Amino acid sequence: MRITNNMLINNMVNYIGNNLTRMDKYQSQLATGKKIQVPSDDPVVAARALKLRTNVAEIDQYQKNVNDATSWLDTTENTLSSIGDVLQSVRELTVQASSDSTTTDDKTKISAEIQQLRTQMISLGNTTYAGRYIFSGYKTDQKLLDETTGDFAIDVDTSEENILYEIGIGDDININVAGGDLFNDGGDADSTTGTPGTLISDFDALITALNAGDSTAASDLLDNLDNDINNVLRIRADVGARTNRLELTGNRLDSDNTNFTKLMSDNEDVDMAETIMNLQNEENVYKASLSGGAKIIQPSLVDFLT
Amino acid sequence: MGESFFGLNVAVRGLFTAQRNLDTVNHNLNNVNTPGYSRQQSVQAASRPMALYDGTGMVGTGADVTGVKRVHDEYLDFKYWSENSPYGEWDAKQEVMSEIETAFNEPSDSGFTTIMSDFYSSMQELAKDPGSESVRALVKQKGITLTKYFNSMGTHLENLQQDTNYKIMTKVNEVNSYATQIQQLNREIYVSELDGNTANDLRDSRTLLVDKLSKLVNVEASEVVYGTKPDGSEDKHFVVTISGKALVDHFNVSKLALDQRSSDEKVNDEDIGNLYNVRWEDGNSLTIKGGELKGYLDVRDGNEGETGSNGIASPDYKGIPFYQEKLNEFVRTFARAFNEGYIDTDGDKSYDAGEDSGTGHADGYGHDSSVTGTRFFTMMGTGDQEMSSTDFLGGASTGTDIYGAYDKLTAKNFSVSSDVIDDPNLIATSDTALEDGNINTLNSLLDFRQNADMFSEGAPEDFMKSLIATMGIDSQQAQNYVANEEVIVNQITNRRTSDSGVSIDEEMTNLVKFQQAYNASAKMIQTMGEVYDILINQLFA
Repeated sequence: MRITNNMLINNMVNYIGNNLTRMDKYQSQLATGKKIQVPSDDPVVAARALKLRTNVAEIDQYQKNVNDATSWLDTTENTLSSIGDVLQSVRELTVQASSDSTTTDDKTKISAEIQQLRTQMISLGNTTYAGRYIFSGYKTDQKLLDETTGDFAIDVDTSEENILYEIGIGDDININVAGGDLFNDGGDADSTTGTPGTLISDFDALITALNAGDSTAASDLLDNLDNDINNVLRIRADVGARTNRLELTGNRLDSDNTNFTKLMSDNEDVDMAETIMNLQNEENVYKASLSGGAKIIQPSLVDFLT
Repeated sequence: MGESFFGLNVAVRGLFTAQRNLDTVNHNLNNVNTPGYSRQQSVQAASRPMALYDGTGMVGTGADVTGVKRVHDEYLDFKYWSENSPYGEWDAKQEVMSEIETAFNEPSDSGFTTIMSDFYSSMQELAKDPGSESVRALVKQKGITLTKYFNSMGTHLENLQQDTNYKIMTKVNEVNSYATQIQQLNREIYVSELDGNTANDLRDSRTLLVDKLSKLVNVEASEVVYGTKPDGSEDKHFVVTISGKALVDHFNVSKLALDQRSSDEKVNDEDIGNLYNVRWEDGNSLTIKGGELKGYLDVRDGNEGETGSNGIASPDYKGIPFYQEKLNEFVRTFARAFNEGYIDTDGDKSYDAGEDSGTGHADGYGHDSSVTGTRFFTMMGTGDQEMSSTDFLGGASTGTDIYGAYDKLTAKNFSVSSDVIDDPNLIATSDTALEDGNINTLNSLLDFRQNADMFSEGAPEDFMKSLIATMGIDSQQAQNYVANEEVIVNQITNRRTSDSGVSIDEEMTNLVKFQQAYNASAKMIQTMGEVYDILINQLFA
């Protein structure tokens, strides 16, 4: 083949251009730390990168939700524990009042103490978490119990009004305890009847009995109190189980987060050592082609004719 | 021996011949870097010998330069022209595709996935505190960010279509300009070759023009024999055709023309107004099969061969209208699902009764609110003002009409409704009026993110993922084609340069060769002079 000067020059420019393109690719990979800059660099990596980004963002959000749900349930658990303590005190006082040796005067004092515990119970029923009433079902902006009468101030449908937090794709957790479940022995809260739920009415019956000095009636109410205590224990067990589930979900999300972040990194981040080596390699090729090119385009016969 | 000064004449002829050859070398060296230049060679032959009629043979009379030849392989021209068209076509496509890629800005930490994730995160936060004014304001802002992303994409694609249209205009003007230049050269070449010469340098210029033309549009060029000239040689006319119709025919030129499309000539419904149609100036329709012009037309109009409402089929390429339509489809379908709970379960992209049974934003109640029917997403109306839900629906009440209202949505006019902007408390969370902690509606809206029936490609983010993958693959394909064609075109250029290019070494060798010939002829004259000196001055002294 006949080789002309412009052929050499054209080819040299093309080769050096190609070298520079490859160096530019490695350079931008090193500068950004990413294998691809635009989807066309590798459409498969790009599509996977989008999916993994979404996954990681979702997991981040679910982790936040798990934390918030845990706080809510912790508040509920603390309140339930206080309610249990109140009921336990009432039960002890009732046992004390049922004794024949207790005088009427003592019974009146005990009645006054139970009256105080009743008020505490009502205020526990209106516990808030971040300004929201935790036992009010969906009506988190309204108090569950009337502060004086202890009647239900609102209706709460125990089976319907479950506040669900999303803690995974298609995975919801109920974070609230409905007021009726707690204060009406598993039933609904109903504001229309004008009567308080079983828990408060047991208090009321007890106070009435003690004020009347009726030890038998007070002692009969012990069964009711045991029933109430068992109901609270049932709910505490349920809340405990939910907290437990949240903990497990939280752990799983933590490891998911690590895994997906790693997958994301494997998918789109460059292997620095390899890239630096490739760049070094390209640089050598580039230098070699520059030095070869510089040699080949310079001389011609002109230089040797004297 | 006859004539006394015969030898002197032969020597002079040798001088002239060497000089003509040196002129050619000089010309070649001058044009070593001239684009399109083909090296020239003097054609040298022994001049007509003198016959002696005494049986002693013929006497040589020296040499003559009988012509100057252009070293050029026309086969390579045809190869070059036919490969240069696809090169131009894919180069143009690659350029526009990479602009589309830049517009999507993926994968990155500020593209669609991030914006969508932020929007859903804000809604998750709202689910945990539905009564909070500040979280509601956050959801509103994230919603606005999401709509603005689509607005900017829509505007960007429209601008890109406008720019591409402008490029088409420029390219058509270039074609016309080259055609006129070729026509003028045809005239000059024809006239200068009437006496049998070859207009080497003019032909080089003409080939170079066809080279440039072949990158713009698919052309074929050849010399067609039209009979014989009075001197008996063939009468050749140079003809350049685009898809069979002559652009330049000898001394005639037929130009391309641009027409602004009227609204009923729109190829795609998404197209901006007043795009150019390219046709022949004489009114005939033009078929373009290659070159940058085809590349730009394909990306400007291409929507996979889909037919718009004017019944005009678009080019079978995923160009700008394809991405516009996909983005429009996204905002329409997403807004339908989000606002109305409409899921196209059978995937026929039209309204079917029962498919709107899901819970959407319009079915829910906001904070402290006992009204339903608020749409979260509407569109920009006149004066780029966000429309309210009522204005947006325009009185539509039946499922079909409500479905139809969303056909007005485009990526460019997508917006959060004025209702929500004015009062974030209207963001629906509850399925019952005045229940502050009820997040049933909101949970249903959150579920749409994973709803694989929303698009034929799957959930919303799957749709965008597949769109971006399609774009990546197409852009990569264009780059690969360009790279391949570039290799082929370079290879042909190399062969052309090998054949027709000037080699300095060769010319320098010729320089020495002809200089020596010149010197030898001069020496001959000197010798002849000495012979005559003896003959004339000394013999009779």
